[in-house]
Amino acid sequence: MTADQIVFWVFAPISVGSAVAMLFQRNAIHAALFLIVNFFTLAVFYLVLGAPFLFAVQIIVYAGAIMVLFLFVIMLLGVDREESLVERLRGQRPLAIVLGLGLAAEIFVAARASLGLARGPADFDRTVNVGGNAQALSHVLFRDYFLPFEVTSILLIVAAIAAMVLAQRRERTAAEREAEAA
Amino acid sequence: MLRSVWLVPALPLAGAMINLFAGRRLGRWAGVLASALMVAAFALALGVLSDLVKLPGDERLVVRHLWDWISVGSFRVAADLRVDPLSVTMMLVVTGVGAVIHVYSIGYMHGDPRYGRFFSYMNLFCFFMLTLVLAQNFLFLYLGWEGVGLCSYLLIGFWFDRPRAASAAKKAFVVTRIGDTFMLIGIVLVFLRLGSLDFSAVLRPSIESAQPSGVFTVIALLLFAGAVGKSGQIPLHTWLPDAMEGPTPVSALIHAATMVTAGVYLVARTHLLFEISGVALTVVLVIGLLTAVYAATCALGQDDLKRVLAYSTISQLGYMFFALGLKAYAAALSLLVAHAFYKALMFLSAGSVMHGLGGETDLKKMGALRRAMPFTAAMFGIGALAIAGVPPLSGYFAKDQILEVANQFGYFVAWLMALVGAFLSALYISRLMFLAFFGQDRTERRAHESPPVMTVPLALLAVGAAFGGILGLSATTGRLHAFLAPALGELVEGTGGLPTVVLSAISVLAALAGIALGWLVYGSGRIDWVALRVRFAGAQRFLAHGWYVDDVYSTVLVAPGKAGGEFVASVVDRRVIDGAVNGVGQLFQWAASRGRRLQTGLVRNYGLAFLVGVVLIFVYVGVRLS
Amino acid sequence: MKTPISYFVVLSAVLFAIGTVGVLVRKNALVIFMSVELQLNAVNLALVAFSRLHGNLNGQVLAFFSMVVAAAEVVVGLAIIVNVYRRMHTANVDDASLLRW
Repeated sequence: MTADQIVFWVFAPISVGSAVAMLFQRNAIHAALFLIVNFFTLAVFYLVLGAPFLFAVQIIVYAGAIMVLFLFVIMLLGVDREESLVERLRGQRPLAIVLGLGLAAEIFVAARASLGLARGPADFDRTVNVGGNAQALSHVLFRDYFLPFEVTSILLIVAAIAAMVLAQRRERTAAEREAEAA
Repeated sequence: MLRSVWLVPALPLAGAMINLFAGRRLGRWAGVLASALMVAAFALALGVLSDLVKLPGDERLVVRHLWDWISVGSFRVAADLRVDPLSVTMMLVVTGVGAVIHVYSIGYMHGDPRYGRFFSYMNLFCFFMLTLVLAQNFLFLYLGWEGVGLCSYLLIGFWFDRPRAASAAKKAFVVTRIGDTFMLIGIVLVFLRLGSLDFSAVLRPSIESAQPSGVFTVIALLLFAGAVGKSGQIPLHTWLPDAMEGPTPVSALIHAATMVTAGVYLVARTHLLFEISGVALTVVLVIGLLTAVYAATCALGQDDLKRVLAYSTISQLGYMFFALGLKAYAAALSLLVAHAFYKALMFLSAGSVMHGLGGETDLKKMGALRRAMPFTAAMFGIGALAIAGVPPLSGYFAKDQILEVANQFGYFVAWLMALVGAFLSALYISRLMFLAFFGQDRTERRAHESPPVMTVPLALLAVGAAFGGILGLSATTGRLHAFLAPALGELVEGTGGLPTVVLSAISVLAALAGIALGWLVYGSGRIDWVALRVRFAGAQRFLAHGWYVDDVYSTVLVAPGKAGGEFVASVVDRRVIDGAVNGVGQLFQWAASRGRRLQTGLVRNYGLAFLVGVVLIFVYVGVRLS
Repeated sequence: MKTPISYFVVLSAVLFAIGTVGVLVRKNALVIFMSVELQLNAVNLALVAFSRLHGNLNGQVLAFFSMVVAAAEVVVGLAIIVNVYRRMHTANVDDASLLRW
């Protein structure tokens, strides 16, 4: 057993387990925490697959920023209360589970059929990650994918503005204040 | 003048159009215009006559081609007018009597809110009638035939707000329609079997070899069916008494002088076809005779002034067909002309009586009117004598001639029945005369004589009724016979039977007997006819209802038809058809009410729908690629 | 590396399926959103795995962009959830059914 195989077979169950656990949590905070565990496992997988840069970004951005933002909002709104487990929509749960399993099965079949047991080039680190993953990535990013790069930066600015606008508290007019007082 | 014979129908048509569109604005002048046009048409007709007699006897046939009407493949029908003695005779009757009646109507219809419309219809009727008698082919004749049927409907139901009038108009149209349909089939057969619709092509002696005689029988009988309907013979006679709901000038013009005589004209025109088939001629004879006697009995039981005259018309028409069946075509035509005069006279006199009594028609409420309306009484008396067949009035000549032919050809039973009919004719008309104008005054209103615009036409008609015979209008050697010979053939003299003088004497005796009996019962006051009525109430009712023929039709034919119509309307139309149409709408409503449940508004349901689609697409792609 | 790439792809599929079920089954808007993030991450994993398979960095770049966009999306999405919560005082997705028939 090589190192990557051990890593895979240790972290894969953790990954799936934490995902399923997230599904079953009634408390939203608990669900978020399990998701963070999941993200960590995914980061490890990136490392194994020869993407150390993404490993770092995953932890910093996803686990560190996005999930923290989630936790902020959950606690701000106070929606961490226990969610009722009663499903009011008939057939929603069974159907969802069946279809989800079907989806996974289909992809499984497709992957087996097309990929088989292919492994990818053995000298990935030497040929692709020339000069290190970050450097190689930067070469690709700032040359071949320069336009998307710039566009995404605009996207981020737009998102920030949107968030500010959407989450703004409206100044209540005098009439509304009176209506609320009455 | 002959070249412009097309003007004769064109003038009334123009009058009809003018009155239709500008009648209201013309006001009183609508009637004057219509009458003037008719008088002009009559003058033109006289001109045509004078032109025609300038031609030698054998060549008195002129065809005026107006335009090509239908031209489809090998089927060609032209709008042609035929000028020959028969059509000129009819044309003169229509325009002459028509003009007189138009003038009369100026006074009779005075004050009616739809005055202009009335004259428009009357003119339109004259146009169609003239087209009918002047047509040179079957289709053109049929155009006129249908047209007069239409105008009859419009005029009978002129006062359409009266339910009885509207119903009578409908009845007239429907009953004559039955005959018209058979006639149309006959016309189609003429074209199919005899190759053409043109009179000159079909009505020549050589046509006999074209088809077996059975074909001619069928054609003749079909055409006769149309005549039966239009002329009110058994069994399609039930519409005529009811048609009296229309204004009296209408009854005079259409149901006495012209439209009802179209059937007689048709048979006379196509007599060749009837002769080739012997059976058809016999049928004509039998039906004519039976109708004549039947209608005479019914006339005896009527209490309504106009209904007596209606049944009288039916009876007289029966005599005309009887004559046609005996091949005495000219005699039939003579009776037609004479009848036009005296029947129109009597109808217009009846109108005068009604005008004087404020619309009353019940004989039981009349009596001794000769004191209040002496002129009308005199006119009516002349007409009554004519119809009874008293010489030397016109009616005598015509009827006597028919009886003579019957006897001398050996039809003794028929002759006897016709004689009985003549006696009955005299009886019912004298009953009418005495009940209305003599005896006790049973009126509920004070009667008054009519204005000159109504009485002068009466006088004109009376002259025709009285002196028509002497003008040679109706006699074997009379001028009319000679005139009509080229068109109708020579009359074959019968051999056998009683000599002419004896026959004439017998006819006159029958007439006088009828009048005497009528005077005895109704005029002299010696017999209490009221008590007589009560004693024979059942018989009187039987006769009054026309031997209940109409009621039989009602039960056997009309009621099932109505029931069928009810069924179709309420079940088929309402439930099946409306149900289907509404059902479609309801189907969509139901589908929509079920379908809208898809819009739950819940995001999770929509997500599920996404997933279902995704999975399906995956499967499809996967299957395609493997 | 000895692990076949298809193992990673299958793992990615399993995580994606779990995320899908989470979206459809949970009622809390935030938990649903988290499940969506799970789905996105599963896809990122698949992208990186394929990048390894093909021997170039395109998959990694794509995954990188995906993360960036996901971040922006989370920001806007949470802002919307906050807005909706302020209006309806509930984060239960089933309560937002105004477009119902």
